[in-house]
Amino acid sequence: MMTLATRTTPLLALWPLAVGLILFALAPALLNQGLVFLAGLTLVNIVFAQAWNLLFSTIGLLSFGQAMFFAIGAYAMAAGPQQAGGGPFLMWLGIATGLGALAAIVFGIVALRRSGGIYFAVLTLAFAELVHVLITKTDWLGRNDGLTGIYRPTIELGIATIDLTQGDAYYWFMLVACGLASALLWWAGHGVLGRSFRAIRQDPVRAAFLGLDVDRHRLAAFAISGAASAFAGAVSAPWMQIVTPELAHWSMSTKPVLYALLGGAGSFWGPAIGAILFGAVEYATRTMHGIADITTGLMLLAVVLAIPGGVMGLVMTLRARRGATARATPAPHARRPQEQTP
Amino acid sequence: MTQSFKGPRFSRRTLLKTTAAAAAIAPMSRLWIPGAHAADNPIRLGLVTPLSGAQEMIGSFVRHGAEIAVEKINADGGVNGRPLALEIRDSKANPAAATVAARELLGQGVNLQLGTISSAVALAMGPLMQAAGGTVLTCGAGTEKLNHENYSPNVFRVGDSPYSRQYGLIRLIAERYPNVTSWGGIIPDHEYGRTTWAIFVDAMLNIFPQVTGKQPEIQRPILVPYGAGDYKNFIAAAVRQPFEGLYTSAYGGDAVTLFQQAKPFGLFEKTKVVVDSANEFLVPLAMKDQTPDTWTGTHWYFNGNTDNPMSKHLYDAYVARTGNKYPMGWAAEAHAAVYAYKAALEKTGGETKADAIIAALKGLTFDSATGKRTLRAEDNQAIKNVEIMRISPKADNPDGFAVTDFVSVPGDSVVEPARPGQKLELKSL
Repeated sequence: MMTLATRTTPLLALWPLAVGLILFALAPALLNQGLVFLAGLTLVNIVFAQAWNLLFSTIGLLSFGQAMFFAIGAYAMAAGPQQAGGGPFLMWLGIATGLGALAAIVFGIVALRRSGGIYFAVLTLAFAELVHVLITKTDWLGRNDGLTGIYRPTIELGIATIDLTQGDAYYWFMLVACGLASALLWWAGHGVLGRSFRAIRQDPVRAAFLGLDVDRHRLAAFAISGAASAFAGAVSAPWMQIVTPELAHWSMSTKPVLYALLGGAGSFWGPAIGAILFGAVEYATRTMHGIADITTGLMLLAVVLAIPGGVMGLVMTLRARRGATARATPAPHARRPQEQTP
Repeated sequence: MTQSFKGPRFSRRTLLKTTAAAAAIAPMSRLWIPGAHAADNPIRLGLVTPLSGAQEMIGSFVRHGAEIAVEKINADGGVNGRPLALEIRDSKANPAAATVAARELLGQGVNLQLGTISSAVALAMGPLMQAAGGTVLTCGAGTEKLNHENYSPNVFRVGDSPYSRQYGLIRLIAERYPNVTSWGGIIPDHEYGRTTWAIFVDAMLNIFPQVTGKQPEIQRPILVPYGAGDYKNFIAAAVRQPFEGLYTSAYGGDAVTLFQQAKPFGLFEKTKVVVDSANEFLVPLAMKDQTPDTWTGTHWYFNGNTDNPMSKHLYDAYVARTGNKYPMGWAAEAHAAVYAYKAALEKTGGETKADAIIAALKGLTFDSATGKRTLRAEDNQAIKNVEIMRISPKADNPDGFAVTDFVSVPGDSVVEPARPGQKLELKSL
């Protein structure tokens, strides 16, 4: 409705997260292990898509190379312990996330000051391709074959040890980890920093005039997004038990874009809904051999054409219409997704 | 368009939305329709192989081979009176998608799987199957790690190992062309390419002097990028090298591109022998009468096994299904994998638990389209004959080429010693 984020208390605004976590927590009890595995992948995809959307919808940076951070995180988690002969799991998770942030900062320093808009998007694509090639040429990253035999960890907390190797334990860990990451991303996009990001997206010149350091804010957003994407990758590696160079392939970078288009980039929860829907469609079309991808693509096209703002865009349009009829004022034109909280 | 009558109005937008919604919901309805095959209580085998993307052609051979085997077994009364049923999934030539499909099948209780042709996927299957209580029979995955450092009791290779394949080829070369002592290679710069070359060199250094009494000269291999469209510079470099024999393990579409581009450079005029490790009919089907005279390794050559009724049935059924007269060896690999499961299930009395099946598969000797195969107990590696065809251009043949020679090397004479868990040790230059 409004073009400025409305202030709500975070705890209330995070109700969709709570609902989502409860639904995902039911998975191990209700579904077979194959579907639980897919649910785990969906959790990771949600964080990945929200990390991408923090750039796109909050500060207005379009990244076509988000897979590079995901791959850096996944490979850090896979190759790190293998090379160093183990080490605490949470430390490696921290290192993987840090490497994602570091890669984003290095890349951002190179690219952000020199380019914007579509040029920046093409640069992200090129860098991701570079990461892809580097992985396929590096022996200790397993070259084209990737790495397997990634251990599922035990977490030493000093007072207690949490064993994630047995049964659904790692799924529960993913649920907590991805829930936290999602909440932190929400906070990054809705706090003081988030409001500065939005101001920059709407008018960088004016934001600079008001005293915001545009470059530094863009770099910060990029670092947060890179860290969260790497975190998603790192969490996924022990779950998948395999990392391959395809993780850095451009087609991986299109995933968060598709999720956001499907669910609606205008809302923080849109990409999450998109990731869930996309996973459901992929599962439903799994036996349509050879035409599954075409079917999925056509459906996506249909949704994007029919509801330009994605699923959340549709929800907001309906909400706006309801509000409008109640107040007997003309409904706002809902071609573009309106920004709202949640 | 406003309409005066009160009633439902359909705008273009509503229509679009409805169509999109219907399209979205249609496939989902399949989620809640239980499988229609609970009635005859079949034993389900999971087949995960590429059915779309770059490797789709190979995946289709795998699929047909497995389907033909299952149909034949069911027509003959099934296994212990129960029919077999295939649960087919697309691996999309992507290791992540392949593991997702494998896990999804495991979740449905389909723990006997087959069809892996990708090395990366095959290597990922070990830990996955061990944790989930499944087994997988690979149908052409070329990595030597499978029965060496990445050995897993739950993963079996029903075809020849890369070591047997190269050793079979070199034995043939040494016996047929003892005077061709100078060799070069055009090798794809990835895992499979480097492995095949390393084994080629090792076999050359071991077998060639043994058979001929001469030392081979081996040039530095020319490494070509994987999936490139332009090999002209590499071919020019190869033409400059003083070799008489050329070995290549370029693969699939890359091999076709490479051979087509090498033709005008006169590369095949200068070489006396061309050896291709695994492309079977791929290059000649594309190049017709422009095909260079080549020796190629194959998983199965139908006319080399005409006295084998299993081979004959596989070939006839394949041609009847597809109209393609040149089925390639991957069909026989999948066919063999299904028959291996059949033999194992007969041993276990229909028990499908992983440990029972593994115990039954280890040391199992079973019949296949290429004759008897034995799954070696120590490292799950099949001992199988290495089949090699010579393909020559034939302008008067409608296809433009013909198989002019065929050699079958006994598997036990060329297979490496079983060393599960240890790296393959090779001589190098």
